[in-house]
Amino acid sequence: MAAIDIPEVHKFIETIPPFASLSLAERKQMLTGVSMLYVRQGQTLALKDEAATVHLIRRGACEIRTPKGGLVDQIADGECFGVSSVLAQNPDGLQVVAMEDSLVYRFEKIHFIEMLKKNDAFGLFFEHTQHHRLRKLSRSQSNELATPALQLSTPVANIMTRQLVLASPEESVQTIAIRMTEARVSSILVVENERLLGIVTDRDLRSRILALGGSSSALVRDTMTADPVSLLPTALVMQAQTLMSESNIHHLPIVDEDQHAVGMLTAADLLRHQELSPLLLINQIHRQQSISRLAQVCKQWPTLIINLIVTDMKPADVGNVLATISDNLTRRVIELALEQVGPAPMDFQFMVFGSQARRDQSLGSDQDNGLMLEREPTTEESTYFAALSECICQGLAQCGIRLCPGNIMASNPEWRRTQSGWQQAFSNWVKSSAPSALLHASIFFDIRCVYGNNEPVDQLIKGLQLEISKNSVFLATLTRSALVTKPPLGFFRHFLLESSGEHKNQLDLKHQGLALINDLARLYGLSCRTYRAGTLGRIEQAIREKLISVDTGRNLIDAWDSLNGLRLEAQSRHWQATGSASAYLDPKALSPLERKHLKSTFGIISDVQDVAQQRFLRGYS
Amino acid sequence: MAWNIVRALTAWRESQQSMKCPWEERDYLVLDIETSGLDAKQDQIVSVGWVCIHHGVIELDSARHIVLENADIGHSVGIHMITDADVLEHGKKQQSVLRYLRHLLRHRILVMHHAPLELSFLKQVWQTEKLPSFSIRWLDTLAIERAKAARSQQPIQEGGFRLGACRERYGLPEYQGHDALTDALATAELLLAQIAYQGKECRLHDLNQMGGGRVTLSTR
Repeated sequence: MAAIDIPEVHKFIETIPPFASLSLAERKQMLTGVSMLYVRQGQTLALKDEAATVHLIRRGACEIRTPKGGLVDQIADGECFGVSSVLAQNPDGLQVVAMEDSLVYRFEKIHFIEMLKKNDAFGLFFEHTQHHRLRKLSRSQSNELATPALQLSTPVANIMTRQLVLASPEESVQTIAIRMTEARVSSILVVENERLLGIVTDRDLRSRILALGGSSSALVRDTMTADPVSLLPTALVMQAQTLMSESNIHHLPIVDEDQHAVGMLTAADLLRHQELSPLLLINQIHRQQSISRLAQVCKQWPTLIINLIVTDMKPADVGNVLATISDNLTRRVIELALEQVGPAPMDFQFMVFGSQARRDQSLGSDQDNGLMLEREPTTEESTYFAALSECICQGLAQCGIRLCPGNIMASNPEWRRTQSGWQQAFSNWVKSSAPSALLHASIFFDIRCVYGNNEPVDQLIKGLQLEISKNSVFLATLTRSALVTKPPLGFFRHFLLESSGEHKNQLDLKHQGLALINDLARLYGLSCRTYRAGTLGRIEQAIREKLISVDTGRNLIDAWDSLNGLRLEAQSRHWQATGSASAYLDPKALSPLERKHLKSTFGIISDVQDVAQQRFLRGYS
Repeated sequence: MAWNIVRALTAWRESQQSMKCPWEERDYLVLDIETSGLDAKQDQIVSVGWVCIHHGVIELDSARHIVLENADIGHSVGIHMITDADVLEHGKKQQSVLRYLRHLLRHRILVMHHAPLELSFLKQVWQTEKLPSFSIRWLDTLAIERAKAARSQQPIQEGGFRLGACRERYGLPEYQGHDALTDALATAELLLAQIAYQGKECRLHDLNQMGGGRVTLSTR
């Protein structure tokens, strides 16, 4: 067959890595025997028989899935699938599902294999692609096993409500109606000598009292549903679900062998249990009436984070979702603290610093926060704010955001200041170049207001930017400190790792990688005209304001993304294994190709450090 | 005489049978013709491009782009950017190209976008070149698109049946070139998309109903 000479095909292929690196003759050879197909959205391609070869998406988007439906990868225009079916006869039975209508080139297997042998760069590219997917594959398979086990076969005891709202049969319906309203529940269990006698639901009050013009002094005994359907706490969620739908009820009392009421399971509990979503968690956070209840709800948080990570959400998106949840949690804790301590004598802002401000929290992040007061407080008011802050910080700690070991918290009187007080502190750090000032700058200069009117905080930030722009010495100092730690490039040659303690021979992704990028981004961010708190936002802003070249900026963004992905993965692995979230990575867990990739990531950080040195340290070093 | 009728009837029945088979069991040749104008009586064919569909996929190896020899292209250069140099370099005798095409079409269904124009040119050159007559099935992606629009009662704007506009509705990429080969490939992709939208058991019969027919090319 003659070589294909269709301009539109060549024009496309020659822009796509790794085909772009082929010579014209090689490209023509690759294109021999190519066919094109159109795959309708939702249609599945099993990679077998004539389809067991490499495909390139010309236009469209596809998902690669395991036979059981686990997601391995999502790909679009210019990306390939079917590589593993050529290299290893598709041992995992992967399928490709079109997410959009897709136009696809199908290569002839023999020409592809020939090219793999002939051209090293070409082969390496596909080896990397395949390896990347294998890693995702192993994750999606372990995920598949975990999900169903988590759901229907869980005992109801794990998800039932244990704080019961109880009534006695001789009470009036009005009394229990008030109790139910206060407790925000839609049903109440009627007990006598601790034994379950009956249940009264909102619907009973409506249909048996209100609709019949009954009296509010009617007795519970005459209104309740006696001997209601109930289950033992050891029953499975699946049984509860079946029972509730068969008997058409939304409230299921849980009793022990002696008929003692021990819990309550509602349809809403079941729903919550089935789908742990960020939105639902936020919703629950806002409904809780006490910090201890809030803490209870927040126990789901780590599971949620791990779910987000295993579902392959982008690291930046994981950060945003977690920031939204922790912002909402912080606000709710403040509201509850205000209820407990009493209304504030003046306006105030609750500010967060560090990772929460940057929106890159993960498992086990600690709190960094402070208060901004409307004016200088009196002694009495100081006492009030001390109590309020203590209540907030302890509350957050109960909910899983650890207390700050460096005591950068609103509960520390040092970090409760007026706007001018904060300005003064910022100003001192900018003017001084003491190491402690720089340390403070690296935490406090990532700042966001999460409660109260954010205008004073914005003014504070504006003042800070102005101060810095007038002080190039400070930028130079900040640069020098950002360049002190070098990425562990030597790591791959002689395994230059944390050399002591528990994490001997492991790589600290957070402090040896991400923190360096955060520092560089802060440096550039603070010299921009527009303030951004997040690392990616800062790099993008610096690109926009032309402080950094597009290429350098994008490389740094990619580096941040890939390190953050590795960190989240490492943390969720540690969390599931040990219950603690460590960002240490064992290099043995990486394949040679991943090591190569990590090495180039560190290379990028090192390059940008050089660029920053050129920009901010010229004339100072 | 009677024998001829029997043979014609058998051929007709076979052809009816083949209409019921799934579309991908038949082979297709998607053709685009560049001409020097719109009038088959006066204007000439400048170039032809085609690509074949086999087992439901477009086979890029089958793609051909041929500029005809002696084509007078003086004033139409603006439309398809073919220069005299192209003709000198790649030019082929019209008759030999058409014989080759006839050979390919014996077992294939002809597919075009806007069939009336291409068919009128094919009929015309068949007469002038005195080629042996033969009968082929054809499909018109434009007619199929129009039938679909009528069925779903979706009004389509002026110009909405042009090749590019049709392709856009199926998420197909925009092609820069408009030579005969690119348009033939573009039409072939459009046909696959239209068929994909017809659902699983699309038969040739269904496509034919929407925009297809039979034509006899002859010297008379």
